[in-house]
Amino acid sequence: MAYSRMECKKGNERAIEMYIKNIFNNFRKYSFLLKQLVSRDFKVKYKRSVLGVVWSLLYPVLMMCVMAVVFSNVFRFSMPGVNYLVYLMTGLTFFNYYSEASNSAMSAVVANFSLLNKIYIPKYIFPLSKCLFVGINFLLTLIPLYGVIILTGSGETKCHITWLHLLLPYSYLCLLIFTIGVGFILSTISVFLRDMFYIYGIVITIMTYFTPIMYDISMLAPWIQNVLKLNPLYHYITFARTIILYGEMPSVTRFLICGGSALIVFVIGIVVFKKNQDKFIYYM
Amino acid sequence: MIDVQNVSMRFNLGIEKNNSLKQIAIDFFNKNARQSRKEQKKQNEFWALRDVNFTVKKGEVVGFVGSNGAGKSTLLKVVAGVMKPTKGQILVGGNICPMIELGAGFDLELNARENIYLNGAVMGYSKDFLDSKFQEIVDFSELHDFLEVPVRNFSSGMVARLAFSVATIVEPEILIVDEILSVGDLNFQQKSENKMRSLISGGTTVLYVSHSIKSIETLCDRVVWLEHGQVVMTGETKEVCAAYYKSQVG
Repeated sequence: MAYSRMECKKGNERAIEMYIKNIFNNFRKYSFLLKQLVSRDFKVKYKRSVLGVVWSLLYPVLMMCVMAVVFSNVFRFSMPGVNYLVYLMTGLTFFNYYSEASNSAMSAVVANFSLLNKIYIPKYIFPLSKCLFVGINFLLTLIPLYGVIILTGSGETKCHITWLHLLLPYSYLCLLIFTIGVGFILSTISVFLRDMFYIYGIVITIMTYFTPIMYDISMLAPWIQNVLKLNPLYHYITFARTIILYGEMPSVTRFLICGGSALIVFVIGIVVFKKNQDKFIYYM
Repeated sequence: MIDVQNVSMRFNLGIEKNNSLKQIAIDFFNKNARQSRKEQKKQNEFWALRDVNFTVKKGEVVGFVGSNGAGKSTLLKVVAGVMKPTKGQILVGGNICPMIELGAGFDLELNARENIYLNGAVMGYSKDFLDSKFQEIVDFSELHDFLEVPVRNFSSGMVARLAFSVATIVEPEILIVDEILSVGDLNFQQKSENKMRSLISGGTTVLYVSHSIKSIETLCDRVVWLEHGQVVMTGETKEVCAAYYKSQVG
């Protein structure tokens, strides 16, 4: 690490080459650690429960059952021409990933201070591993989602599985990249401001209602619609719904907005994290 | 191999106070308070290291002595890359194996086998390397019967054995040791001390911190004596140890 710094002075081109090589080497060296951390989280999470990994499937199903009963029977929410249960589940799957992953990424750096204080490990690895770990859980929750699509898809409101479903991973990827970016920002802030853990809890609650999970955005006044459209999550969810519920191809604009917003937040996250990571050690 | 140039490290002891909302509000409205707090902040500054210079050549074993809070551990952390120095720079050529605190990467819920891989990954080893050395680690720790037992059920001595065995499995170019020689029972202490000796005599560059003058004298080629973050004396083991001993005992 120190040698590369010395050689950076020798020439700009060489410096950039070294820099990129360094990042690449660093990433390769620590990819095994990343894998270990993700598998550790997975093993520890269900280690002492009787049902174990089944909970990854059961928990979202039960949550969605509760939500479905509340919203379609108690509040009598429905959407003409749309399978409401699938509509709700799509939104929930995406939002649950975001809220769980960003929450655990936020505390990842602070929780590992004892380790970071003793040994050199790239700090970004902790929020990153949390986002990936919850990502595996996200993929598992797709199983009950597809279960519902297949079971309820043949009613008056049809939703078939078409070749367009092959485009869905694009929205998952956008969601993942966006969440990693947010995770970097949050974990940086929480080091300096521990109050963030409480503040973010409230932010998440607000976001739950300001993301169209159980309602449709067209039910609202136009100006609120425009505000809600600033939330990247809205676009990822809508992207998925366009395919799953309507069997249509998302528009090119939607493609660009999804990818663009994810990349922008991701880059901001990296810059914020990188700029501040050397100061972390003073705030333990 | 290691070149430490004018390294200073500043800590701010009162750093938590800066974060309270009340203080920020007071500072905002009251200019005097702001100024006095700036001065207070200066007073709270603590230099753990001041202008430390030394070089270590390849294969040298360098010991560090000094009273508690002299900055020995901070210095090792700076060399290991855990902290960035406030001033100065450090050039290190070679891969570092820090043994500053054993078992830092253990997860108590996982069993010994999983922890060997996790801790190994934390130390920066690759999967292939750990696969090939796995048996050696287990043999050295003598924990064959406990491989599938969660570490939370281990005794502290067993945890230390496992940690030591994982940490010393590499042949690193630079080894940083912060008083870990005495782990486990008498038998394992003997064994770990021998292992350390063989690592050290195997041509590895070693930075070694200890309060035991005896072990410093037997292991080190050269000694650096730190006090209040500054180098008091560097030189031959015997001279420095004698001077240090004199100042401590009086």
